Amino acid sequence: MSVIEINNLTKEFGELKAVNNVTLSIDKGQLFGLLGPNGSGKTTMIKMLTGQTKPSNGDAKIFNIDVLKNPIKVREIVGIIPEQETPPSFLTAEEYLEFVGKIRNIENIKEKSDKWFKMLDFADQKNVLCKDLSRGTRQKLMVAQAFIHEPELAFIDEPLINLDPIIQRTLKDFLLNYIKKGNTVFFSTHVLEIAEEICTQIGIIDKGKLLHQGPITELKTKKQHLEEFFLKLVKEG
Amino acid sequence: MGSGILKIMIKEEWRLHTSLFGKNMFAIFPIVICVGAFITSLFLPYIQTVMTTKQMLQSAHYLFIFFGVTIGAFGLTGKEVMNRRFGQASLIAYSSRSLPVSERFIFLNFLIKDIIYYLFFWILPIILGLTFATFFISINTVSMIIACGTLILSFLIGLSIIFLLSTIYAHSSKIFIFLLISMVFVFVVLTNYYSISIATMLLPFSIFYYPSNTKLLLIILLIIIPSAIGLIFLKVDYPERKKQYHNSLTDLTIKLKFSPHSYYIAKDFLDLKRSEGGLGKIIFSFLFPIALTWLFLYIFLEFIPNIKAIMIFSIFLGIVSASIYNMLTAFDTFNPYMFLPVKVSTIIKSKIISYLIINIISFVILIFVAISLNQLNWFLPALCSFITISVYSLSMTIYFAGLHPTILFYNSKIFSQYVITVAPLLFVFTIISILNPYLMFFCPILLIPAILVLRQSYQKWDKWKPLSI
Repeated sequence: MSVIEINNLTKEFGELKAVNNVTLSIDKGQLFGLLGPNGSGKTTMIKMLTGQTKPSNGDAKIFNIDVLKNPIKVREIVGIIPEQETPPSFLTAEEYLEFVGKIRNIENIKEKSDKWFKMLDFADQKNVLCKDLSRGTRQKLMVAQAFIHEPELAFIDEPLINLDPIIQRTLKDFLLNYIKKGNTVFFSTHVLEIAEEICTQIGIIDKGKLLHQGPITELKTKKQHLEEFFLKLVKEG
Repeated sequence: MGSGILKIMIKEEWRLHTSLFGKNMFAIFPIVICVGAFITSLFLPYIQTVMTTKQMLQSAHYLFIFFGVTIGAFGLTGKEVMNRRFGQASLIAYSSRSLPVSERFIFLNFLIKDIIYYLFFWILPIILGLTFATFFISINTVSMIIACGTLILSFLIGLSIIFLLSTIYAHSSKIFIFLLISMVFVFVVLTNYYSISIATMLLPFSIFYYPSNTKLLLIILLIIIPSAIGLIFLKVDYPERKKQYHNSLTDLTIKLKFSPHSYYIAKDFLDLKRSEGGLGKIIFSFLFPIALTWLFLYIFLEFIPNIKAIMIFSIFLGIVSASIYNMLTAFDTFNPYMFLPVKVSTIIKSKIISYLIINIISFVILIFVAISLNQLNWFLPALCSFITISVYSLSMTIYFAGLHPTILFYNSKIFSQYVITVAPLLFVFTIISILNPYLMFFCPILLIPAILVLRQSYQKWDKWKPLSI
């Protein structure tokens, strides 16, 4: 069953086609990695799929909901880690999760918050204002807010950036366990090693065009390294 | 190195604005101000029927001090606004953290850059507009140019004094309050016991009629000394230890549960309370200008004893109170909500409630002023006038600028549209307030179009992609 369906999705910024006619379908239970160099259109793609920016052409459905027609409904049911960690400056980490909990109507928010503080090891920072948190801790907070309502689908943009190796491992394990439960992740990154390690499916995008889509096992069967495959594909364009 | 940094800061400010709404819309802004000043000046002969030229000039000097104070107050909070919007590393104002330049040196350049910008985008266009108008009305052009020069001095004095006061406030709110009380005390002693007129103390105005080198020197000192002291004692906090805060969101949300947007409102109040300056922001950008308005009106009563000063004050209060909305939006962007299931209109609605709650201060001020001016019998029409102007101008601000008034009002088209919809109302209200204040009982009828405009605004901003700032 497809949870994400994308048809001819295009985003133009003047002359530039940030995303160019992308058609894609992602099934339930996948950890889909969208890979591409810097500026290839990964973030724009996530923004369109979560209704943060309107496509110039094409359409997308999340759990059969038209993103263009109902972006708020889509954002209600999915979790999103944005490209830049931007929690409100003058709330503490704990208050921020409570704030997100109120917006999302989450019950037992305190318990759920504490679970995340413990799991990502930043309970000692929960009473510090977001503006005073380190980038890594802010990223942990963004991870927590994206998953605190236990969504069935999460869009995560470079989620491991700024995190130390221990927390990276924790998060990777969490994501692997998360898809085992039948949830889906749309994961954007340019760190190929991470994608190779945890993704079940990959898509390679460059200059807005989707150059490849398929299961990661395909490469493993062909005994081909992702890096080698990626570089060849991007060079050939 | 100094001029280099200043040049880059000016370029940065230019690009910041032009990247948001294009070079032309930003570049036309001073022309719009110039045309506005020109048109307003054409009414001067009519105003001369109720005020003498001397009184008008004195009032203009008060207004320019007032302008300097309000702009200075915003400029000082502006640094923090930038911090929230762009992060600490993105602007040159924060380069002292990564480059070998002192915070004091950067701040001096920041201040000069702001003065240059406001001079070019506000003061000089106003002056040009006034000067052009002298060719069409019976006012001497040379006198007008000299007056414009003294008006600039008033503006700079206002700016310099607010800079000093805010530095003192940053060090100690007790010293700040002591200083304010002392200033009022000195003012009262000089006017009542030494019979020194206010006009004499207003040096830029005094020098226009009675030029002297001593006065000019005093004015220059009055501009330089407070700024220099402010700069020398500039306080920049780099907290070494991350401060821990109790969770206040829960309690505040419960207290505000009368509104469905209680947690957004609670967040607004925490923003105001915990951000740099805290209460100082309300003092400098709202209460201080209001106090000055009250002082000016108190003085005006000498000129025009028949005027119902409380009525004029209520109009000023309505407009100045709009700055509360600007303040609320300046410290919050839509970025933290972009990835959450939140509509722009929800944030706007919550800001309106926060605005109304803070405006209780305005209501209390209006009562205080009515009592102090001994005009309680005009309080109800003044209240009608205040509420109508406040809500009407807020609805127009929201319609034209949404969550970004402090930025979008530099778009000349948007600013002109706002002025065209609000200025005539202010003009009519002022005339009615002078002629028959009781007619103001009918003005709340304007709340109906204001509410309709607000409803339109919600739809408009929900469709619109929020500025990515």
